[in-house]
Amino acid sequence: MAQINEQLIADVVRQVLKGVNGGTQPAAASGSGISAADYPLGMKRKDLLKSPRGIPFEELTLENIESGKVTFDDFRISPEVLKMQGEIATSAGRSQIALNLGRAGELTKVPDARILEIYNSLRPHRSTKDELLSIAEELEKKFGASVCANFVRESADVYQRRKLLKGDLPSAE
Amino acid sequence: MAVSKRSKRFEVLENRPVHKDGFIGEWIDVGLIAMGSPNDPKPSIRIEGDKVVEMDGRRREEFSMIEQFVADYAINVKNAPEAMAKSELEIARMLVDVNVPRGECIRVMTALTPAKIARVMDSLNIVEIMMAMQKMRCRQTPGNQCHITNVKDHPVLLAADAAEGALRGFIEMETTVGIVRYGAFNALALLVGGQTGRRGTLTQDALEEAFELEVGMRGLTSYAETVSVYGTESVFVDGDDTPWSKSFLASAYASRGLKMRFTSGTGSEVQMGAAEGKSMLYLEVLCIMVTKGAGVQGLQNGSISCIGVPGAVPSGLRAIACENLVTMCLDLEVASGNDQTFSHSDQRRTARTIPQLFPGTDLIFSGYAAEPNYDNMFAGSNWDIDDMDDFLSIQRDFKVDGGLRPVSEEDVIAIRNKAARALQAVFAELGFPPITDEEVELATYAHGTKDVGDRNIPEDLKATERLMKEGITGVDVAKALAKRGFRDIAESIILMMRQRVAGDYLQTSAWIDSDGAVYSAVNDPNTYAGPGTGYKMSDGRWNEIKSIPWAVRAEDV
Amino acid sequence: MQINTELLEKIVAEVLAEIGGGSSGASVATAAPEEVAGVKLTETGKAARGTDPKEVVLAISPAFATTFKKTITGIPLADVLRQVFAGVEEEGLHVRVIRVYHTADVAFMSHLGARLSGSGIGIGILSRGTSIIHQRDLNPLSNLELFPQAPVIDLPAFRAIGKNAAKYAKGESPNPVPTKNDPMARPRYQGLAALLHNKEASFIDRSKAPQELSVTFE
Repeated sequence: MAQINEQLIADVVRQVLKGVNGGTQPAAASGSGISAADYPLGMKRKDLLKSPRGIPFEELTLENIESGKVTFDDFRISPEVLKMQGEIATSAGRSQIALNLGRAGELTKVPDARILEIYNSLRPHRSTKDELLSIAEELEKKFGASVCANFVRESADVYQRRKLLKGDLPSAE
Repeated sequence: MAVSKRSKRFEVLENRPVHKDGFIGEWIDVGLIAMGSPNDPKPSIRIEGDKVVEMDGRRREEFSMIEQFVADYAINVKNAPEAMAKSELEIARMLVDVNVPRGECIRVMTALTPAKIARVMDSLNIVEIMMAMQKMRCRQTPGNQCHITNVKDHPVLLAADAAEGALRGFIEMETTVGIVRYGAFNALALLVGGQTGRRGTLTQDALEEAFELEVGMRGLTSYAETVSVYGTESVFVDGDDTPWSKSFLASAYASRGLKMRFTSGTGSEVQMGAAEGKSMLYLEVLCIMVTKGAGVQGLQNGSISCIGVPGAVPSGLRAIACENLVTMCLDLEVASGNDQTFSHSDQRRTARTIPQLFPGTDLIFSGYAAEPNYDNMFAGSNWDIDDMDDFLSIQRDFKVDGGLRPVSEEDVIAIRNKAARALQAVFAELGFPPITDEEVELATYAHGTKDVGDRNIPEDLKATERLMKEGITGVDVAKALAKRGFRDIAESIILMMRQRVAGDYLQTSAWIDSDGAVYSAVNDPNTYAGPGTGYKMSDGRWNEIKSIPWAVRAEDV
Repeated sequence: MQINTELLEKIVAEVLAEIGGGSSGASVATAAPEEVAGVKLTETGKAARGTDPKEVVLAISPAFATTFKKTITGIPLADVLRQVFAGVEEEGLHVRVIRVYHTADVAFMSHLGARLSGSGIGIGILSRGTSIIHQRDLNPLSNLELFPQAPVIDLPAFRAIGKNAAKYAKGESPNPVPTKNDPMARPRYQGLAALLHNKEASFIDRSKAPQELSVTFE
């Protein structure tokens, strides 16, 4: 379906970088040196991809599932890959996506059930300020998720100012 | 204004389908106005350090939670003074001018306040909006999405419909339920059916946020879309979320390697009785900016489920095209609506789709009812399966790529049958209530639920509960398929599971080709810069669109 | 299906009066509540959490059966109540009715009903007819059964909603009330529904707690 011309893309990417980076945050100088030119990683940089416990991307196959070598838990993205995708997004001029993927990288360490609980706690009128601050503490101390922790702290301030904390709703039981 | 003797012409006109549509006048005080309300704020910005301290006439300490989020995360503060100094007209002209590169337009548009963006849109007429869309959409190749649902939540029919939809060219498909607790089976049916129809099909289950995330984590779906955001604080809170909870949810999806986009649309705030007197488009701009600020790659908008509201007021369909355009201008993927019934009139239905279909968007529909509308559980789409040949004709008439292709009856029957049998195998292997051979046969040839029997619903619901409780995953489904001889479909599911390790489809406007290659705004960016540039239909694709089976060919006469 | 023209005309007239008079919706909100024929609803104090496992709590919206007398298709709201009561009662359970003031969002209304209900099962109904059966331990925006399209809910469906709610309260897994789908309801009714909802929303009082109602059918 898509008509992809490699040369054209390279030109366009250069053009985009020129056009966009002038305005948005500068491309991340640090990092693995991954950029839009390496994309898609699943085609061009399979060498960089592996499951969280280190099984190479190429070995994530049906045969290896059947033999028991690969399980469901191997089909998870790693913080490293999220960082690379963030760098690709930044190099294509999309800094907010990189921020989101940065938070996501931190959350890879948080178990599914706990993620769902934290999400529910962030919903309006669900938590007191102290409860939100202790979630932030947990994210920081237990999971090393400092960006997420600050994000939750920010929400606690906003919820307090806008009366969105638990107990702020007059008609709650 | 009743007249004593009726004009026969007026009597005929009154009985036309368009007269069944509910048209209403503007009611500015409550926000029943599409765009340009006198109550919309006047654009302004004041920046101290790198913080926005005043936006659109409101001081920071008075910001709603939405305004604070937008000011802190969605406005490029460095470019804002220059961009805000331009007149609305100057910016509107940049969007239409083929000599101003897309990147330059993005630089300006991402540095504006919500009120300013709304005013830029109000400076454009509908043809200019379409011109701008052609240049501003993120990905060069247009695509299409469908709904796969039915009124009985019949899993076999869902699988067959999903397979047919994928074969017809839909790159994404979305389901929802009549009965919430059927949700897990719908996800399973789309996974199996979608991969049967075309390897690489993205599927999602539009349900409550936490449930959607859970089935996504399990690998039963590959992306999420129904993550709603709203333009006023009270409606956002009634939607049981905040920009912070929604952003956290977005990061949660990405942390599991899942694609997602937000959903919003004009009319939702006034529909919920809390538009605070603002125009529908102004509030929608806030939603788009929340999406941008959350770092989500894209948005479904175009009024969506509230289209009866903007569809009923003056300039409403123009406002809807504007919301799609704003999304593109903030460099976000857009799944551009056209997904809900809004008119009894075929002329209005078609006209409503032109602004997205002719310029092309990432997903022109979000989605097209790939079943008859009586089975569409999103309460009906603007186009349904019975309109399919009209759609294929329009692609051919105008040489426009709407993402779909003509198919033969033989191929459709074969693929539907295969998907139904594959689901039968999965059910048998996982110990779910059996799917009979008769059910497979009926689903293969069905038009909709009128042609299939009833399942034992309480038994099915017990099984869906078990599916969730036991933690059955995409890998279990692949194993079941492989064991029962559907190795190719099992491989396709694994290919989808691998996407979440590579994360390539987390980038803007991504879809997955049959060989597992991901195309997005990163490697297929829109290069439109006037005639002879941008998306060009290949000869192969044009021949496909041309070949509607019912056209009379000279050599056969 | 026919449009509730009487109500529509009344509301349009009110809207026009408001626009003409330049006043806000608040003036209408403070107008004395009117009675609806066929049922008497009397507030008896703040709604409390129940302990009776044989009750289903029905939460109704701020202007249900006061300003609004009929659903969007013209079904009298007294008949709606009667059918829901009958449905619950034929399963041997009973209904407790509360009026919610702080929201007119049917998901939150019904979820509040469920949380206050001794059985943990609640029903929410908006004046225009939109309904939900909810359960205490579900997320507010989830539900047991949702009836989002007010124009297709008829009296037998309201009875069935009551009956199923009672069955859930007894711990059974009933066949859900058959889902109806009219794809052309939106084009016809959604603009009108927005008008009605804005009217109902003008009766929201964010600071007022839900009230217990005693119900007498006449």
